[in-house]
Amino acid sequence: MRYLALLLAIGISVWAAEPAREKPIINPPPAERDWADLAKLPDWSGVWNPKITDQDAQARTNMPPWNAKAAALVAHQLAEEKAGRPPPLFVNCLPEAMPAWMLVTHNAMEILFTPGRVTLLGESDGNRLRRIYTDGRHHPDDPDPTFHGHSIGRWEGDTLVVDTVGVVPQAYIAISEAAGVPNNGDMRIAERIYLASRDILHVELEITAPKVLTRPWKTTRIYFRQRARKFDIVEGVCLEGYFAPGTDKDGNAIFAPVKHDVGGNRVPPE
Amino acid sequence: MKERIAFLALLGVAAAYPAAAHHSTTMFDHAKVVSIAGTVKEVHWTNPHVAIFVYGSLAAGGEPTLWLMEMTSPGNLVRAGGWSRTSVKPGDKVTVDFSPLRDGKKGGALKRITLLETGKFYTADIRAQERANLEEETPAKPAAK
Repeated sequence: MRYLALLLAIGISVWAAEPAREKPIINPPPAERDWADLAKLPDWSGVWNPKITDQDAQARTNMPPWNAKAAALVAHQLAEEKAGRPPPLFVNCLPEAMPAWMLVTHNAMEILFTPGRVTLLGESDGNRLRRIYTDGRHHPDDPDPTFHGHSIGRWEGDTLVVDTVGVVPQAYIAISEAAGVPNNGDMRIAERIYLASRDILHVELEITAPKVLTRPWKTTRIYFRQRARKFDIVEGVCLEGYFAPGTDKDGNAIFAPVKHDVGGNRVPPE
Repeated sequence: MKERIAFLALLGVAAAYPAAAHHSTTMFDHAKVVSIAGTVKEVHWTNPHVAIFVYGSLAAGGEPTLWLMEMTSPGNLVRAGGWSRTSVKPGDKVTVDFSPLRDGKKGGALKRITLLETGKFYTADIRAQERANLEEETPAKPAAK
């Protein structure tokens, strides 16, 4: 009996000495039913191309409610572009980031469903991607800022409702490839993604960015579906443009770094 | 041979400044379209922008020289213009219609390139792909089980 009490005492003292450990959150392996449930979701397969003419039109007709400072910057950018000197917003090959990817990209994307997640894969920016968690999790209390932010989603019927926070403050709210303002922090992006008709995808965005917008800005972006196999997504490595294929002194094939101009174009012969 | 070396030297200068990403194209004067006839020297089938170097002269006249034609990405050219990596090759005799750079340098945004041997032409307008089911005769049917 005394022996048992001693063991108990040791046990209690060991337990008390252990620092309180948070129980790790485990992502459970998907069950057969989780895979079966995916078949009930709408069909978003295929390759989706953005409607660029609508992006062009909205750059004229659906201006974000910029604050005074941001409006002045955008006015300057638009004047520069009109004068044939487009400001180089996206020429450094960093990701276009959220929300610019959805707003102004000229490149295709595809959308994958797996249990607990929707994944958007783009052709540009080195085949950029967005992970949208649909497993019921919340945002982290203090997410590490990233180019595409932390996205959680839920299905409302056939509409995917997405909320995104934690985007780097440098990420542009862009109205074109030549006009946009860094969100400067505290941005939140709400999206509703759904099929407007069989082969047309709509992405409704509501962007809240208190550092640069006077109120939330709403816009809808349009994507077309292609199913012809020749249109499958291909590799899209942005940095490739900073290198030229060449050969080293040993005859090995290499990518040789080359200079580029600030405007983002190859400089032609004089 | 001398000519070849001279061309390579010229190309070396041009190739020292290749492309970067996702830029507006208003450095080109889209209100204008001019033409050159000549020979393809280099094809850079690379992201984010394909480029073709053509040695030729303006249809309006002038000494032949090296021109740089800019386009969209390989993926977009395949979708919008029916291109492939080998559609246009070095040595091909071509005419090119393009919107020139505003600063007067020897470059432009390619609108159409025509292969003189076959008459086949390719365009580079990504806004031409704004329709679902391009290349499908009839609406897609569910795959056969």
